[in-house]
Amino acid sequence: MKSLVKIAWRSLWRNRRRTILTAAAVVLALVLALFMRSMQFGSYDQMIQAGVNQVGYLQVHDTGYWENQSIDRAFFYNKNIGEAIKKIPEIQMAIPKLETFSLASYGKQTKGVLISGINPVLQNKKTHLGKKIVKGSYLSNKQNEVLVGDNLARYLHISIGDSLVLLGQGYRGITSYGIYTVKGIFHLPSTEINSQVVYMNLTAAQYFVYPYQKGLLTGISLYLKDPLKLQEVKQQLSVSLGKHYEIISWKKVLTDILQSIKVDNISGQVMLLILYIIAAFGIFSTTLMMTMEKRKQYAIMISIGMQRSRLVWVSILETIIITITGILAGLIIVTPILFYLHANPIPLTGEMSKVYEQFNIEPILPFAVKAHIFISQTLIIFVLSTLSTLYPIIYLSRFNILKAFRH
Amino acid sequence: MSIIEIKNVFKTYNETSVPVHALNGINLKIGKGEFTAIVGPSGSGKTTLLNIIGGLDLPSKGDVFIEDVNLKNLSSRQLIDFRLHNIGFVFQAYNLIPVLTALENTEFIMELQQVPKKEREQKAIRLLETVGIGDKKDHKPGQLSGGQQQRVAVARALASQPKYIIADEPTANLDSKATEELLDLMRNMNKQYHTTFIFATHDQRVMDRARRIVTIDDGKIISDEQTEK
Ligand SMILES: Nc1ncnc2c1ncn2[C@@H]1O[C@H](COP(=O)(O)OP(=O)(O)OP(=O)(O)O)[C@@H](O)[C@H]1O
Ligand SMILES: [Mg+2]
Repeated sequence: MKSLVKIAWRSLWRNRRRTILTAAAVVLALVLALFMRSMQFGSYDQMIQAGVNQVGYLQVHDTGYWENQSIDRAFFYNKNIGEAIKKIPEIQMAIPKLETFSLASYGKQTKGVLISGINPVLQNKKTHLGKKIVKGSYLSNKQNEVLVGDNLARYLHISIGDSLVLLGQGYRGITSYGIYTVKGIFHLPSTEINSQVVYMNLTAAQYFVYPYQKGLLTGISLYLKDPLKLQEVKQQLSVSLGKHYEIISWKKVLTDILQSIKVDNISGQVMLLILYIIAAFGIFSTTLMMTMEKRKQYAIMISIGMQRSRLVWVSILETIIITITGILAGLIIVTPILFYLHANPIPLTGEMSKVYEQFNIEPILPFAVKAHIFISQTLIIFVLSTLSTLYPIIYLSRFNILKAFRH
Repeated sequence: MSIIEIKNVFKTYNETSVPVHALNGINLKIGKGEFTAIVGPSGSGKTTLLNIIGGLDLPSKGDVFIEDVNLKNLSSRQLIDFRLHNIGFVFQAYNLIPVLTALENTEFIMELQQVPKKEREQKAIRLLETVGIGDKKDHKPGQLSGGQQQRVAVARALASQPKYIIADEPTANLDSKATEELLDLMRNMNKQYHTTFIFATHDQRVMDRARRIVTIDDGKIISDEQTEK
């Protein structure tokens, strides 16, 4: 009914200040919620990106390697694999790896380590390992050089130029043995890596593990031009590589990052919940006031013959108008800001930036602009304020009109 | 022929805690075209009786018939619809919807009755002219004096073409000039269109205009006289 809209609309104008204040509560809640979410999702993207830079979007292994990471599940690189990868233009880079466990000793100290055979140039492109060298220098293409983590070096009392003895089980049960010169000592954010990993040239690692045939790998990390094409690429590869190879996405590899994101996300949601409660309370108290203030007028309307169910619409319309106005204003304010910050993230300086760099993360505060953030926050705020009309609905459908006259 | 028949009506407030016996066995018939005042001291039950006649409240005991309809047989939704189509109201104050103009307020009740837009607009304008507000039809209640607001309320009550109009102390907030004007208006409507008016009042001037005076005290009718004017 047109009059109801008219009554609701004009009532809002009549109490302009309160209407504006309530709409402002909606605006504030929406702006804050969007800001928080955008920043949160931005940092998640950043963490994931840093993780993906380490491990690749996809990894190709011999089938079963991921479940049971034994050197016996390694595979020999062949032309077919190379061609299958090259055939897919979406793949930007492929980094082969050979990883195996071994004993490392120097002097009287011995420790179990993970030997990681890498292509120094490609690896440095994605992970900037070269920048993490705290003593000595990065790998060249000499076959007898290794990099050790600072914790491992301390444990073994080993330093630059010293000879590290590696002894382990090679491919197909052979015994592997080698002596290597420490070229550099690195420090990465992960203590686990710092106390466990020994990097060497891929070819050196291959020779160490199985000197009889070239090209042994435990995996190939693949980097994509467009991460959104992940499923597509995975599909294409698994068709061309066949069932002897497994293709694993970063989601399976980076479970701990995803887990910590999940935990952080919950704390973010708790913050949001508090924000929502405050906003809902603001909206609710206004609708409550609007209803109570007008109960005499409402009583007259029912007396002269207006059904309560119609009256309820006035109240609902008022709240919906306020909410939609608030939501639109909020979106108009916050959207350009978020898009700006997404394009021009805030750079971090000082200590913070060092921490970020250590983690191989660009020292910026990124903002994500994703449709789902906007849609979910807008919907939640809309539902919240719509819920706040519940009280007027209940009140108007049962209040005693004669009592309303007497007060 | 009476349009309202009240049979042995009792009304007790707070029946479960401290009972207040507001009406104690009222019998009353009101015919078409009457101009009746219900008078009595404060607390005698005037408002209670008018609310029951107006279908705003139901008796604790007894029956209220409006023509053939016994109000207690109606559901609460039906009762609201019954009021919309049969009873006009002029309250003491807060009669009008503050955000609607005089014209819109008058049209509003016809909109509830689903009278077509054109028809209700013409009728509302004519009624506002009749009650002397024609030039102020686009004013909101806040821009009208108390007397003018009450006249708009009368126009609204007339607009719904009710069987009768009840008015609980409609002049209580008005000065003597505005009181006179409102009474003249109601009486003219009563004479011209045979609209039935029932109003409660303490005001001697209002009583003087009534054609029938029903006096109640302690919830009982103590006198019921026709005044020949
Ligand atoms: N809702 C209520 N609850 C309890 N008692 C009530 C209620 N309404 C009225 N009463 C009591 O019922 C009696 C009749 O009240 P009513 O309002 O009908 O009197 P009145 O004649 O209209 O008085 P006034 O001239 O002051 O308006 C009074 O004693 C009053 O206190
Ligand atoms: Mg009274």
